[in-house]
Amino acid sequence: MADARPRVPIKSGYFTVPGDPAAPPDIVVSRCEDCGEHFFPTRLVCAKCLSRRLTTAHVAARGTLYSYTWVHLPLFGSTRIEHMDGYGVGQVDLPEGPRLQVPLAGKQAEYRVGMPLVGRLEPLKEEGGADVVILQFRPAA
Amino acid sequence: MEKVAILGVGMIRFGMYPDRTVSQMGCEAGLSALDDAGLSFRDIDAVYAGHIFMQTMAGTRVVKELGLTGVPVQRIENASATGTCALREAYLAVSGGHYGRVLVLGFDKMTQVMGSAPDPKDMDEAILPAAFFAMWATRRMHERGTTPEHLARIAAKNWNYGALNPMSQRQAKEPVTPEKVLGSGMVAWPLTKMMACPIGDGAAAAVVCRADLAKRYRPERPVIRIAASHLGSEKYERGHLFMGPVVGPAQMSRDAAKDLYEQAGFGPEDIQLVQVHDAFVIEELEYYELLGFCREGEAEKHIEAGTFGPGGKVPFSTDGGLIARGHPGGPTGLAQIWETTLQLRGEAGKRQVPNARAGLCHMMGGGSVCAAHILVRE
Repeated sequence: MADARPRVPIKSGYFTVPGDPAAPPDIVVSRCEDCGEHFFPTRLVCAKCLSRRLTTAHVAARGTLYSYTWVHLPLFGSTRIEHMDGYGVGQVDLPEGPRLQVPLAGKQAEYRVGMPLVGRLEPLKEEGGADVVILQFRPAA
Repeated sequence: MEKVAILGVGMIRFGMYPDRTVSQMGCEAGLSALDDAGLSFRDIDAVYAGHIFMQTMAGTRVVKELGLTGVPVQRIENASATGTCALREAYLAVSGGHYGRVLVLGFDKMTQVMGSAPDPKDMDEAILPAAFFAMWATRRMHERGTTPEHLARIAAKNWNYGALNPMSQRQAKEPVTPEKVLGSGMVAWPLTKMMACPIGDGAAAAVVCRADLAKRYRPERPVIRIAASHLGSEKYERGHLFMGPVVGPAQMSRDAAKDLYEQAGFGPEDIQLVQVHDAFVIEELEYYELLGFCREGEAEKHIEAGTFGPGGKVPFSTDGGLIARGHPGGPTGLAQIWETTLQLRGEAGKRQVPNARAGLCHMMGGGSVCAAHILVRE
């Protein structure tokens, strides 16, 4: 049985938190209605063609690893993803175009530049009876 | 447009100064630059004060330590490029004929603010600069076969330059080897502690004036002229990162170099020394190529050949760079101007680059911006 506590995002507006804990999250992006370019996070003006006709869209949390590192310094604000072996940070290119900087799950040896990754929600801490979740990427199964 | 010269430079050694106020440090650097210029604060027509971390009014208060002459004072901030951008404002004002003699001040006490962690809820702040630049390195290793040894060689070079500079925060007691750099503890793989700049406090200053005045004030010295000044921000391209402590697309530095060389009327082949934003060593490696000092993809070969070190074709980070000399924030870009001015006058002591006639100073500021100058000896 999954944890019954409600889940809330660490900050709203970046990713969705599905009611079903088994369902993967989506990334919240802006799509330009004039040139088709996608942006993360959402914005008011298209950075490519300066159009103001942007709409908010949800895209799947999956992409390819552009680059990554393993950090051996404390991560601001975290409690659970810090451990003795450091923690991973990656730049992930979504197929729609945006590049995201995100925490990586697991161990450094699991990662290679160019590999496919998927995003999952990870509980960071409990607050007010809810699980505060972050978006974390890991190798696609 | 008026020609613009660097008449005087001054700085204090960067370091950890819990017992010194920012006003004391800024005042010391300012007085040192005024003395070097041979001017009194009464001669100064305007002041530009660069600081990142200090509170509101810090600029005006530091200037008050130098004197209350009614001079206009303006605060400038552009992250790491703050000091460079303050210099650029002085350059524009003198070049445009608005002022004759301008004092540029940069100061910060980074040690005073590092306790205040960014908002952990903000994804913008969750990725540290060290992680961001480490990802440059990982990508470069993937694309070009760069090794941690290449990065360690750059770090060792800059540490060893720092030992020759009395104003350098880091002063290694014995020569630093690439092996020592590699063994100094991982910060963000593949970057080790000795491949990253330290936090610190400091102040630096420059007196900028019309070139004809420079000749009159210090007739015994060569005039050090600002031959080019550039400031740019990012242009959008696919893969742009909109969050995090980002230093933007490589194209920004290529564009800076192109603009500088057009303004100066000569290119990298006529430049004998370069200072860059080597907050993390991978940056210096990239800037060898982006500023046109070697072809893209050949930085590693030149690191192995020592092209950018002592006795090489174009030494980089001759004062130790951000890695050794330090990077308190506001004063950093002015420390580059201090070093380049001394080098062009032939006053750089043990780290003197022979026959230095032109030097390039390049800074990046998070957000991001690229600010850079070329100085020449007339």
